[in-house]
Amino acid sequence: MTRRARLWVLLTGGAGLAVLLVAACLRLPHFGGDRHPYGDRAVHASLARRTANTISSVNFDQRAFDTLGEMTILFAAVLGCVVLLRQTQDERRARPEPADVARPVRRYALLVLPVALLTGLYIVAHGQLSPGGGFQGGVVAATALHLLYLGADYAALERVRPVGRYEVGDALASSAYVVTGIAGLIGGTAFLANTLLPYGTFNTLSSGGTVPLLNAAIGMEVACAVVVLLARFLDQAVEIEEESGR
Amino acid sequence: MADAVIVVALLLVAASATVAVATRDPMRQALVLAVLGVVLAVLFTVLQAPDVGLSQLAVGSALTPLLLMLAVRKIRRRGREKEGER
Amino acid sequence: MNGWLLAATVSLAGGLGAALWGVATGPLRRRVVAQNLSTALACPGLLLLSQAYGRPSYVDLGLVLALLGPVGTLVFARLLADELAEDPPRAWGLTWTVAGLGAAAVTALCVATGPSRAMVKLLVVGALLISGNVIASRALSGGFRGVRGG
Repeated sequence: MTRRARLWVLLTGGAGLAVLLVAACLRLPHFGGDRHPYGDRAVHASLARRTANTISSVNFDQRAFDTLGEMTILFAAVLGCVVLLRQTQDERRARPEPADVARPVRRYALLVLPVALLTGLYIVAHGQLSPGGGFQGGVVAATALHLLYLGADYAALERVRPVGRYEVGDALASSAYVVTGIAGLIGGTAFLANTLLPYGTFNTLSSGGTVPLLNAAIGMEVACAVVVLLARFLDQAVEIEEESGR
Repeated sequence: MADAVIVVALLLVAASATVAVATRDPMRQALVLAVLGVVLAVLFTVLQAPDVGLSQLAVGSALTPLLLMLAVRKIRRRGREKEGER
Repeated sequence: MNGWLLAATVSLAGGLGAALWGVATGPLRRRVVAQNLSTALACPGLLLLSQAYGRPSYVDLGLVLALLGPVGTLVFARLLADELAEDPPRAWGLTWTVAGLGAAAVTALCVATGPSRAMVKLLVVGALLISGNVIASRALSGGFRGVRGG
């Protein structure tokens, strides 16, 4: 195909897409209006399953399969990073220098670390009740661990962060999500269907059937994935040096 | 009148995103990006999407700056080592 | 239009606008201070929004920002330590002014909430926010002077 023909194909496709987009936009409900066909159905379904946070119900119940896809993307991305940022033959490890951080900063980091970890767990656990969920809580908890690097030095972080275990945790959490989905099959319905557990009392921690379980799996997966990802970046930035002629 | 806060948030997002694109130095860009993250979280909140806002805050306030700054630092150190060899 | 929404709009427009101006122009020492203050100004704005919409669960956003915002500034303070050591930022007046604004907003919200668990949560957010920003300011003005290479 010549360059000219390719351009025409591109233009035709682009024009078709533009027409469809404009047609769709013209029939969108108005901004801030009171007609939400999808929203009303989603809220109805989430209330029927006693999940107070409709977004969690959409993410982990009505569209749980999509979340499985997103989780796989994160898993694959972190795997790619681990492969790309490994230590190659012409690189060597230098011991990170101990850092002398000002005392108030160090104290702040050590005090806030447990608070931030607890907040991460709180956000994961309350995913089906209030804004938040596995992803948000997992990121907060993983960031909290890195206060050790910021407030002390890299050696301190490495002591509480055996990367291998976090890699195992990442894989285990991903499989836990899939296993919970398959358990739905055994229950006689469909993959990831929320029919396995009783729905519980509305607006309590144990409500929502499998939503809290899937939330916890995602929380653990994201926290481990972020820790592994940052470990690779920190290794490259702090420890690994290229062999030079000196 | 309740839309005023939405307009303010939209304008702030547009302005900070433009600044982030217009800044050339990656370190300063990371600083602008951190502010952009906070502004985006405010926009999501006023549009009644607190879950998305929370994701944005969790990722944008500490994780993205850390990844960016570590990458910048590695590249700079490599540059300095190359200069040392010469 | 309720007063809380007006207060949130004004504080977000003024505070974040000023922070954006600060982070977009000037030397590095000014930019890092502006980044730190953007957290300190946005967090009370988010708390005011939660009160304006009558949704106590939105306070979680303020909580996460009060926790992670200063951590983000610590990241910059640590990884820009060499650049900042040559030209350290001095913005204690501004830091304490913004901390005072945050304290005023949290106090007003506490009075409106009345004694309850929600008030305790607000107080925790306020304490984390103010201490976090003061410490981050301290870190920017030489808190990582003893850090080299790692």
